[in-house]
Amino acid sequence: MVRGKFGRAGARAPAKFKPGDRVRAKNIHPATHTRLPRYVRGHVGVVERDHGCHVFPDTAATEAGENPQWLYTVVFDGAELWGPDADPTVKISIDAFEPYLEAA
Amino acid sequence: MNGVHDMGGMDGFGKVEPEPNEPMFHTEWEARVLAMVRAMGAAGAFNIDTSRFYREMLPPHVYLGEFVLQEVACSGSKTLLIDSGLHRRRGSRLPATRCSRRNRSSAASSR
Repeated sequence: MVRGKFGRAGARAPAKFKPGDRVRAKNIHPATHTRLPRYVRGHVGVVERDHGCHVFPDTAATEAGENPQWLYTVVFDGAELWGPDADPTVKISIDAFEPYLEAA
Repeated sequence: MNGVHDMGGMDGFGKVEPEPNEPMFHTEWEARVLAMVRAMGAAGAFNIDTSRFYREMLPPHVYLGEFVLQEVACSGSKTLLIDSGLHRRRGSRLPATRCSRRNRSSAASSR
């Protein structure tokens, strides 16, 4: 069960974000499949890495197509997610597809 | 979907306690389920996202209950196979249900 990778050549559009960009995870609650964790929704992080284009699980899971999307590592500060009492040294990284993100 | 699998930040589950000298499989059916799921995936019966989606749709008491990973895989695949037409629902018993029950009784007897 290998999920295909499309690389940069398979992209339908240029990447919207680049490493260093501040992004907000969208506050979305799809009733179908998604890989966006609840605890980052609505929060601001920083793009750390661009992984190229990959099969979008949200559509692949319902057999609605591979629909390749840009994939980024986005890093959030612990305090951004868990509040002022969080360990100030904690950072949380997620791999987020471009449709999960908006510029912040 | 906002399912029980999305556990980041939740409290109260206790420590992760690795089992000393943990075997690869605790019972024979676990190996069979792994082989079945991998074989069906390799044959293109479903993709990895579909199989994850089905596992994550399991009810919370099933997903978090006294299930091991292979049971979650087994239960998720059961519904997936029915929905994809690879397995026809006949009567009330399915192989996945039987293997789940067997593991529960062996887990209970080992305590």
